Amino acid sequence: MNRRPIFLLAAHTLLAIVFIFFISPLIWLVISAFDPEASTEFRIPSTITLKWFNSMFEPLGGVREGVLPVTWIINSLIIATATATLVTLLAILSGYSLARYKFKGQSAVVKMFVILRLMPAMVVALPIVIIYAKLNLLDTFHGLVLALSALILPFALLIADGYFRALPTEFEEAAMIDGCSRFTAFVRVTLPLALPGVVTIWLLSFVTAWGEFLLPLVMMRSPYTYPAAVGIYYWFGVYGRVEYGRISAFSLLFSLPTVLIFLVSRKFLARGISGLVVR
Amino acid sequence: MKKDKYPFGQFLILPALAMMVFFVLFPMVWGIVVSFTDMSLVGPKAMKLDFVGLKNYVKLLSDPDFYNSLRVSFLFTLFSALIGQAFLGLLLAIAMKSKDIRGKSLVAVSVFLAWIIPEVVAGYMWGVYATRKGMFNFILSFLGVKPVNWLFEKPLETIIIANIWRGTAFSMILFTAALESIPEFIFEAADVDGATGVQKFRYITLPLVSHAILIDFILITIWTFSVFTMIFVMTGGGPGNLTELWTIFAYKRSLQPPYEIGYAVAATNIVTLLVLALVIIYMRMMGRLERMVS
Repeated sequence: MNRRPIFLLAAHTLLAIVFIFFISPLIWLVISAFDPEASTEFRIPSTITLKWFNSMFEPLGGVREGVLPVTWIINSLIIATATATLVTLLAILSGYSLARYKFKGQSAVVKMFVILRLMPAMVVALPIVIIYAKLNLLDTFHGLVLALSALILPFALLIADGYFRALPTEFEEAAMIDGCSRFTAFVRVTLPLALPGVVTIWLLSFVTAWGEFLLPLVMMRSPYTYPAAVGIYYWFGVYGRVEYGRISAFSLLFSLPTVLIFLVSRKFLARGISGLVVR
Repeated sequence: MKKDKYPFGQFLILPALAMMVFFVLFPMVWGIVVSFTDMSLVGPKAMKLDFVGLKNYVKLLSDPDFYNSLRVSFLFTLFSALIGQAFLGLLLAIAMKSKDIRGKSLVAVSVFLAWIIPEVVAGYMWGVYATRKGMFNFILSFLGVKPVNWLFEKPLETIIIANIWRGTAFSMILFTAALESIPEFIFEAADVDGATGVQKFRYITLPLVSHAILIDFILITIWTFSVFTMIFVMTGGGPGNLTELWTIFAYKRSLQPPYEIGYAVAATNIVTLLVLALVIIYMRMMGRLERMVS
């Protein structure tokens, strides 16, 4: 009986260490974004400032002369919105098709999507650069959106497939008996029922496209077309004197949509992952 | 569903299939073609290239930099994913189940945040966090550890720790779900029989989550083996090539001078075969599991 408090103390200490380990890099990021003299050093600033956030609207110097950092955020917004919309559209169509129709080779198609979801992006990224260079698609938003969509699609499609399979078919059958065509039954009955799933697919695709780094890194050459992820990298890696406060403030703004969306869809995500083990 | 009057539904999958064929399968096939040439990304060899047969592959097999990158990726995957993330994830999942531990959700949120923030931001943060004046040393100073620039002193160990930080959440969530699927009455029955906590873990928990552990192992192995962004931003593969994962090797060879993209693609093709083998093992296992359950 005496072992219990000791065990609890040990468990709490261990969890406290884990907590410090996981939260501390984030603490530095947040503090340095408000520290007027931010550097690599961890320190509690005596005054806080918003100047790093205001500097989003100040043009950059050096090789990236004249680019406003806020442009990178806007680029990311355009790219991620377009990608998420395209991916969601394709995922709904094919997810519905896979869940409601049978055709020869269907399981092979699903298997192909599982394989492609697990392939390293680098394997596809290099040949795509060669092809894009030939087609003059480098440095274009539509080229990047198409490649990003192909990268995210397998993941979105598998979610959509699972979602439509779990949806009862009684309602759409009833609607069809009442005279709806298959298409109107889909639009009027199935789609509204699937709306939470559709929204989640869109949000998760948006977040993935928003944070994606490798494809825009190899495809976008002009600082005017960088999305925010690539902007941060060049800022940190290439800029002469690193202004940590500026990068941290920018990183914070850049992370905000991701964090918000994940906190909203956390339950759905956990259910998706538990679907891997609990069937 | 009964026989359908609208047979065109099957074709709704075609747009998605077309996208995968054009933007994934075709590039991968093109990559096989390119790997037999001396193509470079810029310069004369970008336009006028020659087929060189197996030369790239032969050269790779005797390229110490390629072997180094495979070695770094292998150690990185073994220690950060299979040992670090899986073990810490299981430990946290067990802690999350305990009713007597306070502040669990706070810990869970911190682990979760590390996993979801954009990878570039994670790389930037760790690129600063682990330097000499960084916060990592500030924390270690309470343990009496002398401050050094970890990115230079212990580069491989540092990227391994950084990736444990990054990826533990997935294992934690997966194992939490697996633990929740164990019916409570089994533990109650064991209590009646007078089993100790260790015995309950060894004879109930472990066997029942063993398939979750296997699935976790394979998925995090594939994902960790594919990591590029975080380490590339953090160290750029340096110092020297001490943290040069195969992804960074392929990137540097093709998109930085000498821009030997044919050679780099040959390297990624070899790795693709390795990953493909893992994926097939994974799918076999999932298939067997489904048959077992149904």
